[in-house]
Amino acid sequence: MRFKRSFLSIPYVIFLLIFVMAPLAVVLVFAFTNGSGRPTLSNFIGFFRSSRTIATLVYSLFVAFITTLVCLLIAYPTALALAGSGFRRKHILLLLAVVPMWINFTLRITALKEVLDAIEGNLAFYPFLNTIIGQVYDFLPFMILPLYNVLDEIDPSLLEAGRDLGAGKAGLFFSVMLPLSKPGIMSGITMVFLPAMTNYVVLDMLYNSTFIMGSLIGSYFNAYDWHNGSMISAILLLLIALFSGIERKGEGR
Amino acid sequence: MKKLILITTVIALLLTGCQGTKSATPVSDDIVTLRIANCEEYIDEGGWDADETIKLSDGQRIRGVDSLISDYEKWYREKYGKRVKVLYSTYGTNEDLYNQMTLGNTFDLVCPSEYMIMKLMREKRLEPLSRNFYKRNELYNYYAKGISPYLYKRMHSLTEGGRPLTDYAAGYMWGTLGTVYDPKKVDKADASSFEIYLDPKYKKRITIKDSVRDTYFAGLAIDKEKELAMPSPDYSRLLNDTSARTVSMVEDIITDMRENAYSMETDTAKQDLVTRKVDASLQWSGDGVYSIDQAWEAGRRLCYAVPEEGSNLWFDGWVMLKDGISGSSDRKQAAEAFLNFISRPDSVVRNMYYIGYTSVITGGRDATILDYIKYMYGSDKKNAVEYDISYLFDDKKGSHIIRTDKDQLDRQLYAAYPTEDVLARCAVMKCFSDPANRRISRMWTNVRCYRFPWES
Repeated sequence: MRFKRSFLSIPYVIFLLIFVMAPLAVVLVFAFTNGSGRPTLSNFIGFFRSSRTIATLVYSLFVAFITTLVCLLIAYPTALALAGSGFRRKHILLLLAVVPMWINFTLRITALKEVLDAIEGNLAFYPFLNTIIGQVYDFLPFMILPLYNVLDEIDPSLLEAGRDLGAGKAGLFFSVMLPLSKPGIMSGITMVFLPAMTNYVVLDMLYNSTFIMGSLIGSYFNAYDWHNGSMISAILLLLIALFSGIERKGEGR
Repeated sequence: MKKLILITTVIALLLTGCQGTKSATPVSDDIVTLRIANCEEYIDEGGWDADETIKLSDGQRIRGVDSLISDYEKWYREKYGKRVKVLYSTYGTNEDLYNQMTLGNTFDLVCPSEYMIMKLMREKRLEPLSRNFYKRNELYNYYAKGISPYLYKRMHSLTEGGRPLTDYAAGYMWGTLGTVYDPKKVDKADASSFEIYLDPKYKKRITIKDSVRDTYFAGLAIDKEKELAMPSPDYSRLLNDTSARTVSMVEDIITDMRENAYSMETDTAKQDLVTRKVDASLQWSGDGVYSIDQAWEAGRRLCYAVPEEGSNLWFDGWVMLKDGISGSSDRKQAAEAFLNFISRPDSVVRNMYYIGYTSVITGGRDATILDYIKYMYGSDKKNAVEYDISYLFDDKKGSHIIRTDKDQLDRQLYAAYPTEDVLARCAVMKCFSDPANRRISRMWTNVRCYRFPWES
């Protein structure tokens, strides 16, 4: 056998098969079988029949949507300021924005809990607000990084050209900057939206005693109901695939 | 294609490799291997500082230098002239253990709670204890000699498929479900009822458990309040009601509790009590003792109360698994020897000190454990009061009395060793039947799921 370039991927393919494909297969088998091992669609139908699980799904999507929106609103100006900074060593500024990522996130959230407690007096009265603050705190660097990368790459001569052709500040932003930074926005959204939908640890730690999709799965497994738990995981996977499909389409254009 | 074959072969090799180590049963004749799974932090792991040495009145010095596991291995070799190797692993909850077993992990000895023991009995997965295990005249039968007669009776009264729990399980730690509270913020009378979890006076200043059985129990006690208040109620029947009607009543109660609670937690409440975020918290007695100790160091005085309407008595116990022991008399003998070793009075003291929970072993004729209770909670002061826990040791009133500070009657001593009247109103919550389990799981998911605003 002659060495081929594709051999380099063998370690990853093995990793993928054992830790991604095999568990995925197990999840799918459980999702489409019942307690006695027979194939069934009742788990799937059951999910959409229960208004509580649908409500939980909608709530998770809503939490993820608001988190992403707030992240974007904070991250875009930040990335813009960073990229446009005249500071010679601007990677140091970037570093400052990313430093929180180096600290384990449960530690950060534990600290955040104390801060919020000092401000609010009693956390338990503001569960939704705390969830959003916690999630934004957790995911903000993931939005800043890709945005900074695209904004920093934008050729200044393009902006100059725009100005020469008579665009005002707003026009420059909306017809030059924003379209050029679209790939960064898209990957930022993927990095934030999808994990925000299932990241129940933040909710648990900041005391919103409501399920989002992640914790709902756990509750089924605790009740020995592996089939419904697997079905919810499968539905989430489907949603994630759907969103990435939409995103790819958006990028392609 | 070749590449694919290569990859599949590698994976197949890897998988069989894993399989090989997992299901390997110990074959060597001279070394017995014992696979033990226990809750996290649920046995003395040693490493005590010298100043933590427990000095008992009879001159005994007890200190955990090495872990009880390695001490057991040494002891077994000395006493039986054979070598035993313990493969020790831990799990988080009873459900984790059950899932691990279902996924094919094999253990010889595990330590679940009473309801999980009943579930395993129902599924015929347990190896019964040998007759010899309960013989009190055997030299090393520390369990038979030391088990509290009262707690043995309570365990014996639990049956599954016509056989008592004690045929299969050796008790380990036990306790009650109650409320840890700050007496400056919460009236004792309020804390002595499950109603506190619905009381708007304490809105968002209390926590309940994020565990379906405990919180269901609290809701159930509120639902059955009237019946429980009648003269000589049948606690066990009332506090094990899982009928569809009751479950739906309890769902409403728990939903209100959730609204009223600061959080539903698994172990953050201990910290939240210390940092004054909450004033009362639903806890197991052992965690209660721990919280009271921790808070005391941080300058907050906490107390423990067991609800007056009736509460939960729980046990954790060691059971042998059939598919682990797999008929090996050597392994079974080593497993029972382990149970006896950890029931030896000094081992019991080490465990109780390290874990903070109360052992079912009271020592029988050996006074070590009683001495330890006096060492922890006793007092020589003039105003000390008498606290009678004779019922745990035998039937004679007044035979086992601790002289203690009056303060202890609401605090650690009361949490660790409640009085007889408290246990008389406590019931063990049995294993739910399969349909009841489905009902209660659905109820629990409903409570936690988000609701559309127009639905609530």
